Amino acid sequence: MSAIFDLVLGIVTSIGGFVEVGSISTAAQAGAEFEFELLWAIAAATVMVAMLVEMSGRLAAVGRRTVAGAIRERFGIHFQILPLCAELLLDVLLLAAEIGGAAIALTLISGVGFVWWILPVGAVVWILLWTCGFAVLEDGIGLLGLVTLAFVVAAWRLEPAPAALGAGLLPTVPDHDGVRYAFLAVSIIGATVSPYLLNFYASGTIEEKLTEKELWVNRTTAFVGMGFGSVVSMGVLVTAAMVLAPKHIHVDSYEQAALMFVPPFGRWAVGLFAAALGVGCLGAAVEIALNAGYTLAQVFGWTWGANRPRRDAARFSVAFTLILLIAVAIALLGFDPLRLTMISLALTVIILPALVLPFIVLMNDEQYLKQHTSGVAGNVFLAVLTVLSALFALVVVPLEIFGG
Amino acid sequence: MDLVRDVLDKPVVDRHGREMGRVDGIVLERREGAPPTVVGLEIGPAVLGHRLHPLAGRVVESIEYVSGLPRRRAVRIAFADIVQIDVDIKVNAAIAETGAGIVEQGLRAWLRGLPGGR
Repeated sequence: MSAIFDLVLGIVTSIGGFVEVGSISTAAQAGAEFEFELLWAIAAATVMVAMLVEMSGRLAAVGRRTVAGAIRERFGIHFQILPLCAELLLDVLLLAAEIGGAAIALTLISGVGFVWWILPVGAVVWILLWTCGFAVLEDGIGLLGLVTLAFVVAAWRLEPAPAALGAGLLPTVPDHDGVRYAFLAVSIIGATVSPYLLNFYASGTIEEKLTEKELWVNRTTAFVGMGFGSVVSMGVLVTAAMVLAPKHIHVDSYEQAALMFVPPFGRWAVGLFAAALGVGCLGAAVEIALNAGYTLAQVFGWTWGANRPRRDAARFSVAFTLILLIAVAIALLGFDPLRLTMISLALTVIILPALVLPFIVLMNDEQYLKQHTSGVAGNVFLAVLTVLSALFALVVVPLEIFGG
Repeated sequence: MDLVRDVLDKPVVDRHGREMGRVDGIVLERREGAPPTVVGLEIGPAVLGHRLHPLAGRVVESIEYVSGLPRRRAVRIAFADIVQIDVDIKVNAAIAETGAGIVEQGLRAWLRGLPGGR
C-alpha cells in the first residue's frame, strides 16, 4: 500500500515539477511562431528524458550510486572536471533564470519591478533548503506545481482540432523560418533533458531509500510521470498556438506570454499565469540549488543528504548556499530572464554528449547494476541519443546566432 | 587488481561507516631493480588539484593556507589499513583520527551559529 502511495505521489509530483522557466519559454515561443508544428519536439524530448531518468533511478536503486558519483569512479576526475564545471556554470545560470522567472511572476501580480523581488525569492529558496527535508521539498513543491495544469485546462478550453494536434506530433519541414524552427526544436530538447534533473532524480532515489525490489516504482514514475508532465508543456504550446499565433504575437518576454491566458481565463488570466510561472520556477530553483550541492558532495566524497541535519552535512549545505548566492547575484544584475534561459538551454545542449556518453558504460556495468544492466533496446537508445546529442551540440551555437 | 580502475576515485569509508572522501591519489614507492609498491592512499583537495594540474594544486594549497588550514593537507592511509576494496574502499581508520574531517568540522561549528536549520 505504501509503495502504491509513493508511486502515485511520485507521478503527481513529476507532473507538478515538470514545467519550469525553460519549458514554458520554449513551448510558448514554439506555439506562437509555429503553431502545433513543434509538438513532436516535446514528445521526442520527453521520451529521451524519461529513458535517462529511469536509468539514473535504476543506477541509484541497484548500485547505490548517483550519476555524478559513478562518473567520478568509472571515468576519473580528468574526464569529469570539464563537464562538471560546465554543469555548475549551467546550474548557476539556470538558477538565476528560475529566480528571475519567479520574480517576474511576482511582478505580474504586484506591478513592482522584478529586480526588487530577486532577493526575497532567493531568501525563500534558501529557507526552504535550510529547513525542509527531501520529502517536503520534492512532494510539497511538486503538489503546489499542479497549478501548472492551468496550461492544460487553457488548451482544453480553447478546443484545438484533434487532427491538427495529431499532425503536430510528426516532424515536418516548416514553410517559413527554418533556422528558427530548428533552433526552437533543439532548445525544447535542452529545456526538457536538463542535466540537473538526472542527478537530482538519482539522489532522490537514494534519499527515499528505493531498493532493487522497487524498480517497477522507478520505471512507472519515470515514464508515466514524465509522460503526463509533458502534457503540461504541450498545453503551453497549444495555448500559445491558439491565442498568440493568430495575432502574430511573438514571445519576447514573460509578460507577453501571460497574454495567452486571457481568452481561456478572462480576469483570472494574469493571476493564474503568475501562479503557474512562479510555482514552477520556485520548485525548479530549489531542485537546481539542491542538485548543485548533491553534485559537488558526490564528486568530492562529502557527506550529503537533504534528510540529514544540515549541520551534519556542512560542506553540502555550504555548497548549495554558495551556488544560490552566486545565482542571486547574477539575477540582481537585471539580465532579462528569458534571454538568460535561452543561453542556459544552448549550454545544456552543448554539454549533453558528455552527459549521455557515460550512461553507455555505467548502464552496462554489472558491478553497479547486477542483472539489471541495459538490454539491447536501452543500448541502441543510448547510442542513437549520443550521436543525436553530438549533432545538436555542433549545431546549437550557429542556430543560436542565426535563429535565436 | 587495476589500481586506476578499482581504487582511484573510489569513495573511502572509515571503520564506523562514515564517508572520508574519495581516493584522490595513490602513493607508490620506487625501488631499485624491483617493481614499485603501493604505500598507501591519499585524500585531499590539494592532492586532487595536483593530479589535475600543478597550477590547480597550488591554487588549492593557497586557498587552504589563506583559510588557516595546514599546507599540503592530505590524509594518507597506509596500504596495510585497507580492509576491503569493493564498490567502496573500507579502511581501518576513523575520520576524527586522520584529519579528513577538518573542514567539515570547522564548517559545522560555523553553521551552528545560524538559526533554524533542519
